[in-house]
Amino acid sequence: MKKILIVDDEPNIVMSLEYLFKKENFEVFIARDGTEAIEIVENNIPDIILLDIMMPNVDGYQVLKHLKANNDLCEIKVIFLSAKNKISDIELGLQLGADKYISKPFSTKKLVKEVHKLLNKN
Amino acid sequence: MSSFLVISIIIIYLAVIFYVAYWAEKNSKSKWVNNPYVYTLSLAVYCTAWTYYGSVGLAATSGLKFLTIYLGPIIIIPSWIILMRKIIRISKGNKISSLADFISLRYGNDRFLGALVTLICVFAIVPYISLQLKAISETFNVITNHNIGGNSIIDDTTFYIAILLAIFAAFFGTQHTDATERHKGIITAVALESVIKLVFFLAIGIYVTFYLFNGPVDIYNKASLLPDFKQQQSINGLEGGFNWFFLSLLSMIAIMLLPRQFQVTVVENEREKYLKKVTWLFPLYLLLFNIFVIFIAWGGNIIFQNQGVDADLFTLMLPLKNNHEFLALLVFLGGFSAAISMVVVSTLTLSTMLSNNLIIPYGFLSKYSKGESEQNSGSIKKIRRVSIFSLIIVAYFFYKYFTLDRSLVSIGLISFVIIAQLAPSFFGGLFWRRGSSKGSKYGIFVGFFVAIYTLVIPFAIDSQLITSSFVNEGLFGVNLLKPYELFGIQILEPVPHAFFWSLFLNIITYTITSVNIVGKYRERNFAEMFVDSSKYAALHENAYVWKGEAYVKDLRKVLTRFLGEKRTERALNLFYMKYDIDKNSPYADARLVNFSEKLLTGSIGSASSRILIASVVKEEEISLTEVLSILEETQKAKESNKELHERDKQKNEFLDTVAHELKTPITSIRALSEILLDNDDVDNLTKKKFLTSILKESERVSRLINNILDLEKLATGKEKLELKQHSIKKTIQKSIDAVTQFAENHRIYINSEGVNDAEIMYDDDRIQQVIINLLSNAIKFSNKEKGKVSIFTYINQNKIEVSVEDNGKGIGKEDLIYIFNKFYQAKNQTILKPVGSGLGLAISKQIIESHNGIIWAENRNPQGARLTFALPFKTNTI
Amino acid sequence: MKKRHQQKLIVLSILLLCMFNIPILLIFNNSVTFMGFPLIYFYIFFVWIASIVISYIILKKYYE
Repeated sequence: MKKILIVDDEPNIVMSLEYLFKKENFEVFIARDGTEAIEIVENNIPDIILLDIMMPNVDGYQVLKHLKANNDLCEIKVIFLSAKNKISDIELGLQLGADKYISKPFSTKKLVKEVHKLLNKN
Repeated sequence: MSSFLVISIIIIYLAVIFYVAYWAEKNSKSKWVNNPYVYTLSLAVYCTAWTYYGSVGLAATSGLKFLTIYLGPIIIIPSWIILMRKIIRISKGNKISSLADFISLRYGNDRFLGALVTLICVFAIVPYISLQLKAISETFNVITNHNIGGNSIIDDTTFYIAILLAIFAAFFGTQHTDATERHKGIITAVALESVIKLVFFLAIGIYVTFYLFNGPVDIYNKASLLPDFKQQQSINGLEGGFNWFFLSLLSMIAIMLLPRQFQVTVVENEREKYLKKVTWLFPLYLLLFNIFVIFIAWGGNIIFQNQGVDADLFTLMLPLKNNHEFLALLVFLGGFSAAISMVVVSTLTLSTMLSNNLIIPYGFLSKYSKGESEQNSGSIKKIRRVSIFSLIIVAYFFYKYFTLDRSLVSIGLISFVIIAQLAPSFFGGLFWRRGSSKGSKYGIFVGFFVAIYTLVIPFAIDSQLITSSFVNEGLFGVNLLKPYELFGIQILEPVPHAFFWSLFLNIITYTITSVNIVGKYRERNFAEMFVDSSKYAALHENAYVWKGEAYVKDLRKVLTRFLGEKRTERALNLFYMKYDIDKNSPYADARLVNFSEKLLTGSIGSASSRILIASVVKEEEISLTEVLSILEETQKAKESNKELHERDKQKNEFLDTVAHELKTPITSIRALSEILLDNDDVDNLTKKKFLTSILKESERVSRLINNILDLEKLATGKEKLELKQHSIKKTIQKSIDAVTQFAENHRIYINSEGVNDAEIMYDDDRIQQVIINLLSNAIKFSNKEKGKVSIFTYINQNKIEVSVEDNGKGIGKEDLIYIFNKFYQAKNQTILKPVGSGLGLAISKQIIESHNGIIWAENRNPQGARLTFALPFKTNTI
Repeated sequence: MKKRHQQKLIVLSILLLCMFNIPILLIFNNSVTFMGFPLIYFYIFFVWIASIVISYIILKKYYE
C-alpha cells in the first residue's frame, strides 16, 4: 500500500483529503504543520506528500528544502497545494524541487489523477 | 628720510602686492584664496586712509564721535545672517554685478535708474578717491620732509602712484567680460593689505601707549589736563545724542551701500556660509583697529599741544618726532595700503557700473547687436579699462586743483551722505513690494538735491574760500533756508543735519510716489521676486515668467554675439540637460528666455541684456503670482498622484490577502462537496460531518466578507458613528449577555465585578462589537481546564479604560502589536486555528480609533493576556 | 541655521542699536571714572566685545 502524507493546517481540507485518499487505498498520514511533517516523514518515509505552504512555525518551503537536503528523503514525490498562485510563487515552488504545484481551490478528481501519475512514473 | 628710499620701498611693496594678486588669480581654487578669512578681511576695505589718519584726527578734535563710523557696522552686522544672505542670494540668482544693477533690476530692469545710481556713485566716490590720493601725497611729504607735490604733474609722485593703481585695477579687474566673475587676485591682495594695515596700526598704537607714555591711564591723566577735554569725552546730552544716532545710522548704510562694500560683500562672495565668520570676525577686526585710536589722539594732543600740527597726521608725526623712522615708515605703508585698497576696489566697481549701466545701454547697444563676439567682448573690456583710467585721472585732478583743506573726515562723510540717498530705494526694494521705480527716481532726485544744498554747496563755498552770505543767511536771505539749519533745526551738526533732511525728504517722496503710482507689470514681478526671494529661490529660471513667442535661433544669435559660439553652445546644452527639453524644438520657452537674459547680464548689465533679449522676443503680460499659482498646483497634483499610487499599492496588497483568506474555506467547501457528489457510498456519519463542515465554512466565508466590508466602511468613514451618551456598564453587560452561551460552551465564567459605571459618548453597537470580540478571544484562548476571563474598568477624569483578561498562554512579545493587524497569524499560535476570521481585532482597533481612543495588548502575571481599550471623555470623531 | 536662531542675531542687532544710542548711552555719560577712565569708553567697548562673543556663541551652537 502506498503511503501518502497530507500536510495542511486547515482541518476541513485535511478531512476531505484524508477521506479521498483512504478511498484510493492509501495509507494516510497527517501533519498540521512543518515540524510535525518532518517528524512523520523521517519515521515513515511516505511515497508522496501533499504539502501546504502557509502554515504556522515551519512552512512548506522549509519542509521541502529539508527533504531535498536529505539523501534518504529527496526522492519522495512532493505536490505543493497552496492558495498562493502568483507566477513567482509557482516558480519558486518548482525551483525548490517540487514535482507539481496545484493551486487551491483544486479539483479532487484532478488531484487524484496527478498523484497516480507521479507514482506510476517509476 | 630720503624720498628715493621711500619711493623704492613703495615700488617694492606694490610689486609684492601685484605678485600676490597674480598668484591668487592663478590659484583661484586654492584654500588660501577661497576661505572665509580672506572674505572677511576683504570687507575691511571699509577702513581707508580715513581710518588710519582721519579717525585719530577726529578723536583728537571731537572726542568720542569717531566711534560712530564703526558702531553702525557693529550694530547691523549680526542681522546680516538674514539680511545679507537674502541680498547675496538675489544677486547670485540674477547675476548682479554691482549696486546699480541690483537697484535697476529690482525696479523692472530700469535703464534710467541704473544710470542714475551710477552717476550718484561716481559723484560721491571720485572725491573719496581723491582723498586717498591726498592722504598718500601728504603722508609722503611728511615722511620725506619734502614738498614733492610740486607744481607740475610730472614732478608729482602721487600722479605716478595713481597711474600704477589704474594699471593694477585694469589688469586684474578686467580679465573677464562677465563682471560677476570673481576677482580673486584683487580680493586676496586687499585681504593681505587689511592684515598689514591692522598690524602696523596696532604697532603704532602700542608704541604710543606704552612707549611714549606709561600706559593708558598715564595718557588719560595727562590728557585730562588739556582744555575742552571733559566736553570731548562725553556726549552732549540730547543734542549730542541725536547727532550720534544719525551718524551711526549713516555708517550702517555706508557699510552696505558704499559701492566698494557692495562689491566685496555681495559680488565677490564665494559662499554664503562665509557670512558666519564675518558676523563675529569683522566686528573683532574693527574693534582691534579702534582700540588705540583714542590713545594716539590723546598722545598727539599732549605732545603737539599748541604746535598747530594737523591732527590727521598725528599717527605719522608721533614716531617721527621721536626719530623712530622705521616705525614711521611702517605707519606710512599701513596708510598707503589702506588707501590703495580703497582706490582699486572703488575704481573697479565704478567702472563696471559705468560700462554696464551707463555707457553700453545708452551708447553701444546697437553696435553690439551687430558685432562679433570677440569684438564685442574686447570692446566691453576696453570700455571698462578706459573708465578705470578716467576715474583715477579725474580723481587726481580733483585732488590737485580743488583744494581739500578740510579734514579728511568731512569729505568722507559727505560721500556717505550722498550714497545714503540710495538707501530708501535699496531697502525699500528689498522689503516693500509697492516700492516703484518712479518712487525711486523721484526720491533719489529729491534726496540728492537736498544733500547738495545742505552739505555740498556750503562745503564747496567754504573750502574755496568764496565769500557768500549763503551759509549764514540762507538762500535769498531766507533764514529758514539756511543750509546748515534748514527750517530752524539747530541742534544738528552739518553732517547729521544734511543726512536727516535729505533722507527724510527722500523717503517721503519715495513712499508717497510708490503708493500713488502703480508700477508696470514687469516691475511688479521683480518686486515679488526680490521681496519674497526665498519663495522664488528654488525656482530660478522658472520664477520670473513671461508669456510670449520666441525662437531659439534668435536667442542663440544674440548670445553668440557676446559669449562666442563655444560658450553659447555649452550653456545651452547645460540648459537643455537640466530641464530635459527637446533640443530640436524651434520655440524657446520662458525658462530659456530668462536663462539667456541672465547669461548676458554679467557682460553687459541687466538693463542692456533685457533690451537685447526684448528685441528678439515678443512679450505678453502675465503676472508672476498667476504663474506661481499654476506651478504650485502642478506640484500639488504631483504630490497627490504619489499619494494615490501609495493608496493603490496598499489596496492591492490588501485585496491579495483577502483573496488568499477566502480561498481556504472555499477549498474545503469545494473538496468536500466534490467528494459527496462523486461518491454514492459515503456513510451517513461521514456525510453528516462533511455537510456540517461545508455549512460552517460557508458561514466563515460570509463572516469574512462582512468583516472586510465593515472594516472598509469604518476605515473610510463611510459608516458614521452614532455617538450618544451611554452607560459603559450597561454596554458591557449587554456584551457579556451576548457571549454567555459561547462562554458556557467553553466552561468559562466571566467575572465582571471590576466594572464601574460612567457616562460617556460612544456608538453603543460598535463598542459592544469590540467588547464581544475581546471577550470571544479571551474565551477562546483561555486555559482549557481552569479557564478564567474577567472584565473590568478604570475610570479617571480624562478617559475610561476597559480591560479583558484571560489566563491562557498569553501572547508572544513580538506579536503584541501585530495582532491588531488584518489577518495576522501569531508565530507560535496553537495548531488549532482560531475560529474567527482573523479580522476581529483589526475591526476593533478601527472602531476604537474612530472614537479617538487607543487599544493595546499586554501579558499578565503569571500567565495570560490582557487587552485594553481606552476612550477619552471628549470625543471629536471624524 | 534654523529661523529662530537667526532671529536671535536680529534681536542682538536691535539690542545693540538701543544700547549704543540715547537714552541708554546717556546713563554712562557722566564723569564717573572706572579704573581711571571715563566710564563711557568702557561701556562702549565692553558692549562691543560682548556682541562679538555673543555672536560667536550663537553661531557656534546653532549653525549646522
